[in-house]
Amino acid sequence: MMALGLVASALLLVREALRLPIAWTSAGPGPGFFPFWLAVGVTGVAALILARTWRAGRRHDEPFVPAGAWKPLAIVFLPMVAVVALIHYLGIYLGGALYLAGYMRLVGRHRWMQVAVVSIALPLGLFLIFERWFLMPMPKGLALEWLLYGR
Amino acid sequence: MSLPGIFHDLLYGIGVAASPTNLFVAVVGLLLGTAIGVLPGLGGTNGIALLLPLTFRLQPTSAIILLSSVYWGAIFGGAITSILFNIPGEPWSVATTFDGHPLAKQGKPGIALTAAFTSSFIGALISMVLFTFFAPPLAEIALKFGPPENFAVLLLAFATIAGLEGGDPLKSVLMTLLGLLLGTVGFDIVSGSPRMTFGVVALQSGINFIVIAIGLFGLGEILLTVEEGLRLEGVRARLSFRDVWETWKLFPRYAWTIVRGTALGFWIGVLPGTGATPASFMSYGLAKQFSPRGHRFGTGEVEGVVAPETAAHAAGIGALLPMITLGIPGSPTAAVMLAGFFIWGLNPGPLLFREQREFVWGLIGSMYLANVIGVLIVLTMVPAFAAINRIPFAVLAPLIVILSSVGAYAANNQVLDLWIMLASGLAGYLFKKLGYPLAPLVVALVLGDMTEQALRQSLIMGQGSPAIFLHRPIALAFMAAALALGALPALRALRRQTRGRRGTAARPAPAPRG
Repeated sequence: MMALGLVASALLLVREALRLPIAWTSAGPGPGFFPFWLAVGVTGVAALILARTWRAGRRHDEPFVPAGAWKPLAIVFLPMVAVVALIHYLGIYLGGALYLAGYMRLVGRHRWMQVAVVSIALPLGLFLIFERWFLMPMPKGLALEWLLYGR
Repeated sequence: MSLPGIFHDLLYGIGVAASPTNLFVAVVGLLLGTAIGVLPGLGGTNGIALLLPLTFRLQPTSAIILLSSVYWGAIFGGAITSILFNIPGEPWSVATTFDGHPLAKQGKPGIALTAAFTSSFIGALISMVLFTFFAPPLAEIALKFGPPENFAVLLLAFATIAGLEGGDPLKSVLMTLLGLLLGTVGFDIVSGSPRMTFGVVALQSGINFIVIAIGLFGLGEILLTVEEGLRLEGVRARLSFRDVWETWKLFPRYAWTIVRGTALGFWIGVLPGTGATPASFMSYGLAKQFSPRGHRFGTGEVEGVVAPETAAHAAGIGALLPMITLGIPGSPTAAVMLAGFFIWGLNPGPLLFREQREFVWGLIGSMYLANVIGVLIVLTMVPAFAAINRIPFAVLAPLIVILSSVGAYAANNQVLDLWIMLASGLAGYLFKKLGYPLAPLVVALVLGDMTEQALRQSLIMGQGSPAIFLHRPIALAFMAAALALGALPALRALRRQTRGRRGTAARPAPAPRG
């Protein structure tokens, strides 16, 4: 249950807050004061919610995720994780292009031609917008760094 | 501030907003915003969060005009998807589906659309006038606020969210506290010691609000959309000149609904923390009660479109009032804009009216211009915007993910943020499914630092005694209002309980368990 997890993590937060002085110091309330009482509050409210759900009885009439929805959820979420990893190594442009292409081809079953056009045009457009016009460096990964700047 | 003074400033503001750059920015914002509003998986709040990095290089005035225009566009655009596809493009256009879609199915999509846009526009127009005349005096009063008053106002903000959000008040309180707690991660401003980092060095600079917002709203929303198995099958849209004229002729009849919707919407918008969504529902509910044709609501009444749309746009405008005068966002979307203030190097608060005249009045002036341009854009371009929903999901989903990554990375230039974004996306999905509201968390996260500072300074002023809040009349009044609003859901629950008990008093009812 979500509430149970919240109570547990809230207690952890209280402990973390306690590392700092929570009481009155020479400079007014200590740095731990605000987080401590917040964490106490979170624990209290989470415990209340937990108690309430427990009293109402545990009824799992309907599954948390509708039966047929697991697959589409996984199909969207796993590539999401993958693309963040890809951006880590390949940068946002190459990683994004690969992700778009893979997703369009495998999930959307688009024709190769469409896949190629979209997955090249969109990252290129982003590149122009951010690197050229707005001068905002995005993570590029090693391969693209080398291609662009010869490093 | 004197009346002629306000007129003078307003003209100046319209002048600022009418400069070629700002006008261009407003039109771009409106087009983007309408597109964002039309797309069901992409809302105004995360749309603005995604665009925030693009504003780093703009002048603050142009930046706020861009973002606010996106907001207006999204409010207009949400209605298109609601009416034509029976799927709300935005949370605040849920109530528009009730009568808007039946109208469209009866072969009158043009009338429903015109009614939505026009009432949205009128609601906006009246609210802008209210805004123009309320904002300067409010800022003037707010200048006299000390830390205790500020803390009391912030408390009122949190109480309103918990009290008006609907849903489960306990869960709202929990999310508010969690948001505040997330806000404390990083260095303490006063003592300089790192807090709540669990020893992780990368967390010392704090958790960036934009990253969390993008994750919660952007990625979380996609996951929800996927699970619901989105099917977009809609009515084709044509908007002829005759439709527009026919609808406009109906409008005088709805004068009261419009006035009521605007007043309600503006007020709810101004109340900190609650925006267009509750306003639209309440206005629909009230119109249903008061209208002589109320019993026919839900079958395709034009008035059932007018009521929520007027209130939604009025609330959108109202939500910017506390943002610009007090530095407290009136809605989650305004919270994201407020996060932008810090990035542009502005200090939100009442001093803006004195020190950033161009910024404040440029924003106000652009409201007038952008909403006039906006209504013209949507009236003329409905088919084009409706066509956006034909973008295949296999292109849209990865595109939103990539844009989210760009936005999250640009906030701090650190790749760790992408993982935080991913985690908050998952958390957002779980929270939404379990009925934990996201709006309080986001608003609290933005206001966290401000709240803590206000509280600590007040306590220092009171030498450690919270009684300082009782000695200052303005603070006391806000505290009382906060208490009253916060107690609202508790009272409601209590009434439900006693009524329930009376009903079952005849037989001894065992506590429901099982």
